[in-house]
Amino acid sequence: MELTLNHYVGLSALLFTIGVFGIFVNRKNVIVILMAIELILLSVNINLVAFSVFNGDIAGQIFAMFVLTVAAAEAAVGLAILVVYFRTRGAIAVEDVNVLRG
Amino acid sequence: MISQEAIALIIVFAPAIAAAIAGLGQRVLGDRGAMAVTTAVVVTAALLAAYQFLAHVFGDHEGGAHGHTVVIANWLSVGNFIADWAVRIDTLSVVMMFVVTSVSALVHIYSISYMEHDPHRARFFAYLSLFTFAMLMLVTADNFIQMFFGWEGVGLASYLLIGFWYKKPSANSAAIKAFVVNRVGDFGFALGIMAIVLVVQAPAEMLDGAGAVSAAYLQQLGVAEFSSLRFETAFAVIEQNALVQPVGFSGALPIQDVALDFLGLHVDALELIGVLLFIGAMGKSAQFILHTWLPDAMEGPTPVSALIHAATMVTAGVFLVCRASYLYEHTVFAANMITIIGAITCFFAATVGLAQNDIKRVVAYSTCSQLGYMFFAAGIGAYQAAMFHLFTHAFFKALLFLSAGAVIHGLHDEQDMRKMGGLRRKMPIAWAMMLIGTLALTGVGIPAVEGLHIGFAGFFSKDAIIESAYASPDQFGPMAFWLGVGAALLTSFYSWRLMIMTFHGPTRAKQEYYDHAHDAPWIMTIPLALLAVGAVFAGGVFYDAFVEHYQAEFWGDAIYTASENHVLHDRHYVPTWVLIAPAAAWITGLVLAIIFYGLLPRIPPAIGESGGPLHSFLSRKWYFDEIYNFVFVRGAALLGDLFWKVGDKTLIDGGGPNAAAAISKATGSGVSRLHTGYLFHYALVILLTVVAFGAVVIWSMVS
Amino acid sequence: MNLITDLQNSAPEAALAIIGLAAVLIGAIVGEGSRLLIRTIAVAALAGAAVLAAQQYGSGRLEAFGALYVATPFVAFAKIGLYALAAISLLVSGKSLKEAAVDRYEYPLLILFAALGGGVMLSANSLMTLYLGVETLSLPSYVLAAFRRDHVRSAEAGLKYFVLGALASGLLLYGCSLVYGFTGSASYDVIAEADLSIGLTFGMVLIIIGLAFKASAAPLHVWTPDVYAGAPTPVVTFFATAPKLAAVAVFANVMFSAFNGHETDWSPIIAIIAALSMIIGSLGALTQSSLKRLLAYSSIANVGFALIGLAAGVEVGASAILVYMAIYVVGTLGLFVGLLTIRKDGEPLDTIDDLNGLAKAKPLVAFGMTVLIFSVAGIPPAAGFWGKLAVFQAGLEADLLWLVLVGVVASVISLGYYLRVVWAMMVKPSDSTLDRSDWVEVAAVVGASVAVFPVLTITIQSLLDAAASATLG
Repeated sequence: MELTLNHYVGLSALLFTIGVFGIFVNRKNVIVILMAIELILLSVNINLVAFSVFNGDIAGQIFAMFVLTVAAAEAAVGLAILVVYFRTRGAIAVEDVNVLRG
Repeated sequence: MISQEAIALIIVFAPAIAAAIAGLGQRVLGDRGAMAVTTAVVVTAALLAAYQFLAHVFGDHEGGAHGHTVVIANWLSVGNFIADWAVRIDTLSVVMMFVVTSVSALVHIYSISYMEHDPHRARFFAYLSLFTFAMLMLVTADNFIQMFFGWEGVGLASYLLIGFWYKKPSANSAAIKAFVVNRVGDFGFALGIMAIVLVVQAPAEMLDGAGAVSAAYLQQLGVAEFSSLRFETAFAVIEQNALVQPVGFSGALPIQDVALDFLGLHVDALELIGVLLFIGAMGKSAQFILHTWLPDAMEGPTPVSALIHAATMVTAGVFLVCRASYLYEHTVFAANMITIIGAITCFFAATVGLAQNDIKRVVAYSTCSQLGYMFFAAGIGAYQAAMFHLFTHAFFKALLFLSAGAVIHGLHDEQDMRKMGGLRRKMPIAWAMMLIGTLALTGVGIPAVEGLHIGFAGFFSKDAIIESAYASPDQFGPMAFWLGVGAALLTSFYSWRLMIMTFHGPTRAKQEYYDHAHDAPWIMTIPLALLAVGAVFAGGVFYDAFVEHYQAEFWGDAIYTASENHVLHDRHYVPTWVLIAPAAAWITGLVLAIIFYGLLPRIPPAIGESGGPLHSFLSRKWYFDEIYNFVFVRGAALLGDLFWKVGDKTLIDGGGPNAAAAISKATGSGVSRLHTGYLFHYALVILLTVVAFGAVVIWSMVS
Repeated sequence: MNLITDLQNSAPEAALAIIGLAAVLIGAIVGEGSRLLIRTIAVAALAGAAVLAAQQYGSGRLEAFGALYVATPFVAFAKIGLYALAAISLLVSGKSLKEAAVDRYEYPLLILFAALGGGVMLSANSLMTLYLGVETLSLPSYVLAAFRRDHVRSAEAGLKYFVLGALASGLLLYGCSLVYGFTGSASYDVIAEADLSIGLTFGMVLIIIGLAFKASAAPLHVWTPDVYAGAPTPVVTFFATAPKLAAVAVFANVMFSAFNGHETDWSPIIAIIAALSMIIGSLGALTQSSLKRLLAYSSIANVGFALIGLAAGVEVGASAILVYMAIYVVGTLGLFVGLLTIRKDGEPLDTIDDLNGLAKAKPLVAFGMTVLIFSVAGIPPAAGFWGKLAVFQAGLEADLLWLVLVGVVASVISLGYYLRVVWAMMVKPSDSTLDRSDWVEVAAVVGASVAVFPVLTITIQSLLDAAASATLG
């Protein structure tokens, strides 16, 4: 079987959906949300590289490099905020993150 | 030597600046500073106005005084709807400027002492100066719009000053009453101005390509620029019966033939304009039907009553009618209406004056009555006599008010004449001043002797009016004459009644008040003395200029008299008994007053207590307030209640704003509750949005 | 195309990046002692960037880095506002930061980089630049929201902002990848020429959602009230002004330049977003007692008003958006600075009741805020009215009568809470004494109120003209 663009895009869509669901189905741990975000970015990268290859255009791969960089920065910022949050609240359960509402 | 124009400009605008300084800078200036600034400025304006007036009277007016206009700034300019801020200098405005500024200056001086203990003196003086400015704008206007500006300005100042003691409920309601009743008149005035704009339009064939009025038409009218609002244009059009093409008309026709549909009637346009303008004058000058606000306006401080509600503002209506002599000379119905209303007011107010016990109200009804004289004089075409009476009346009526103020001031703020009496010994100066005022008001003089000018001010002007009324060929002239003579008798009676009740006989005042009663301080006496000079001499000195030999030259083109109107001339040929009638009237009145109040002082209170129908009819002022209260006030209140409670609160508020507010608030808290604070709910909202919008675009692509 | 020309053409962002990085070094080496220096540098750099952006405004279309970066007068107009607002919000935050004990040297740098990100995304002419700009704006914003580290509300605001922002960035990015795949290029110019396909359409929807999130338009507004309520007030002062202006302008820019050919497809979606924003924003604010929350909902509603101009399309709406947002952010800046002045014992106060008697306690601030509220509410003759009029006119010209009617109804509803605030300041009596306010804060409130009325009211025509020439150019 030959891998076509559709396979890559399908895989990417699958990962993307898992990532999105990871954000709002998970109610226990904020760390899982960070992982879900990484999944979304990963799915985008697959998309970009696949399109780049199949369109014969290098820009997509460069885009993917930038996304990787941003993903790293985002993870760093995210974890830092999570640490701050844990320090003040003493918990990282998603259900507990609701002091602010209304 | 500064020019005549510059003098006029200073006279008009100096009070405005003084009012602004005193009003805005009272914290900085303090009470004394504010009083000093306003008084000094208004006195200066008065001196300039006196110079201007005397130069005009005694100067060279052989060539006839031609009015001219100093344009200050353009105000409105839309097509031929042009109005400027301008000062018109002609005899009418010069006379009025003199009257307004001189009385105002004396009232300013008087108030320094009268308002001594009032904590808001600065505000009071600022209002006084503001009033003076507005009144000067009114009398120097060269177009109807500026006149309307001044008209409303004096109305505002009057409202502010009547309600000056705003903590007194009666003062507040009097102020509101004055304002509301004046609105009725002002509505007529405004409609009149609109009718003028509607009618006085240059005919289409007189317009050049650009829509401007052609030079030929301007030349024919003798005006520089065509503006239906300017007196110059409007009066030239009326006088020459020029061709006009009113808005909505297809062809041009002479203005005197124009007829309009108004309230379902097909009426002559000039008559309509005349009636509407006169309704405005009725409101401002407190004429019969719209007079009810004036007596209540006495709730204001007495200097205000003297300045605004006796000498100046209330005469604005008379001024308007005289200013529009070009119009009223060409109307029959409107002029007759003025005669009738004026004559009725003159008699009616005098009858009410008989039964009043408040010293200020007596003088107020007397003012109302004297204004009636002025109006019927104007109605029969004797505008000059009307203006003359306006001029002399300003002095003696201000004198009477200020003297009354001095009495009130000296007697512990007592206004009820039943609690006065015997004050002559305590207040000789006030008595003398009041006596001069009364002699002038009742018109004491030596009649029927040709060339001999001896008498008090009112004698000349009032007799000129009464004689003119007799001589008038008008169908309502005789009625005006008899009512005028009757009113003269009544005037004499209630004036002497006032004198006797206040100053003579045993005192009825509380002993401690009577013991402390005293004459006013010198600073209040000076204005009284100056006004007294006016009340004695203003008639004789200016008689020739205003209504006699030089009147044509004196008035110039300020007042227009049609060629068939020679009532001022004809009055010299009335029978001798007509000349003597007013004198007989005032003597009768004096005798009756002495009998009832001097010799038999028990009778009048007995009449009052018996509660006879005539007495209560008079003391309740012909039940006007009661009728108005029942018909308009209660009716309006009921109607308002109906709309408010049923219409507004239940139907409109209940179904509209309140319901909408309740729904909004409920949905609002619903929206707020949707924000649960849970991350997964928020994420779900975002995802659902993605799905929904995706569905929208895909659906729109498919379909 | 050499580097010098590229840097010249992208001068505001290039300068900000270089100065910002240098300041990071200074801060890292000198430490907390460099606070004031870095603050000064950041304010100066932002002000300088605003001047450079003004130069860009006058120079027509500038390209750099192989047309990845393009500055048109439209985006230059928005950038002037972005940088100037960032500089002002930094300038006025000094005192309240100090009182909250979070006056650290990172703060000005974070604002500077966030503003830089806003500039980059405005000038983007490629989806890649757009994404980088969005992230450069977002990452410092997350940190800023959580800047009061010892405070549970601030930390939670940061966390929520981060998670939802990352999700939105992910959606935006996924949309970018789809558009890139189905058009074969990330460049706006190429995308604009592409034929419509299902992938492109779906990618476009995702990009719209990502941008609407940044602009806090409903229903992607969910983060806004919580973040505004939790983040420190000086930070919200920044969020509500500079990035808000940038986000709406970017939204418009992407729609108008990359998806210009597909207007009929996106216009209905934008109209729905605008309507929802106006309704939810106006209704949501009605029952709030926290002022920051109230202003958050108010900002949602106002973004909705601005988006009427976007829904109207490029010809009639573009200048209306610029005018509306420019006037709105000036008003909001003043209101938030006014909020900064309401402190008691160093702690910022936040409820409407805390405003009671402000007219007596701080008459200048109260009067200024009243004028600003009138402007934000769109009551004539304040400038806000003319902005609203401009977008409504644009809506009517584009036959979006229903949307304009929704806008009018929302405006009426919004009076309910705006007047509540005025009522509290002007009529209700106060029962507590407030801290003295910094003169810079008072000057900013008064300055903003003078700007919205009378200055902008008088010069509204030149503002409209400037915006119109920006969109035509």
